[in-house]
Amino acid sequence: MENLIIESTTYTPNINFDAVHGELSIKGKSYPENTFEFYKPVNEWIIEYFESTPNKNINIQLDLEYLNSSSLKAYFDMFDCFEEAQNLGKVIEVKWLYDSEDDITEETGEDFIEDFQGLNIKLVVK
Amino acid sequence: MKMSKLRTLIHEEGIIFSFSGLISQSLTTFIIKAVQEQLEELIKDSSIQKAIFLIITEQLQNIMSYSSNKHVAVGQVNVSPGSLLLAFDKEKAKYYITSSNEIREEDKEKISQRIDFINSMKKSELRKFSREQLRTAENKHDKGAGVGFVEMAKRSSEVLTYNFEKIDGKSYFHILTYI
Repeated sequence: MENLIIESTTYTPNINFDAVHGELSIKGKSYPENTFEFYKPVNEWIIEYFESTPNKNINIQLDLEYLNSSSLKAYFDMFDCFEEAQNLGKVIEVKWLYDSEDDITEETGEDFIEDFQGLNIKLVVK
Repeated sequence: MKMSKLRTLIHEEGIIFSFSGLISQSLTTFIIKAVQEQLEELIKDSSIQKAIFLIITEQLQNIMSYSSNKHVAVGQVNVSPGSLLLAFDKEKAKYYITSSNEIREEDKEKISQRIDFINSMKKSELRKFSREQLRTAENKHDKGAGVGFVEMAKRSSEVLTYNFEKIDGKSYFHILTYI
């Protein structure tokens, strides 16, 4: 499967999904107007990847400093995909990066931990 | 208008940024950047800065999603007329963001019910409610997730204040959020 690479813009993050090594990284700001359109191919790639990859271990790194409410919704949908893949036998580790002074991003990470208790989510100070 | 008069007014009212006109995604990005530059000097607490940016984004995107008067401008860009103000309330010693846009008369009740319900919750309940909303498809529409008001309330130090006003037969929605 091809890697998925999307360059960042002022209001969308950089997406760098390495299919061979199972390293999925998203970094930047996310507040597009049409959030659903932006994340549709991202979520489709993730679903197809989980179904086809022989890799068992998948590492996900999320470094999102700025999320509007519709982007938050997109990430809840993405975490649903992670959880589903894990239930089907993948070993998924999610690193949620935040700046030590950024309470809001830390809180968002805590919300994901609270809501996806079956997933291995680590809060990591940058 | 004399610039000295405008400058005095802006200073007296504690206005940091104001805009009234056509709102779009590119303008949202521009406003966030401009406000960021202004606030870097004024506010050292990065959480307050971030709360301000998030609330501005939600209010502008609400205008873009819900305005009854949106249309497509040159270059297929969605634009909606609206107004936004970021200012410092000297008496309360708090920043506030307020915005206004035209809405459909029939949406008034839906908006009031939603905000009244959000205002009835404590911060801890809001956080839980927000997660529930984000995990369900309820209140989902083509653009946002319908959770903009919840996110504003989470980042605000007071309840969301709102009202409706009828001007020349058109209905307007105003919202005020204190950080």
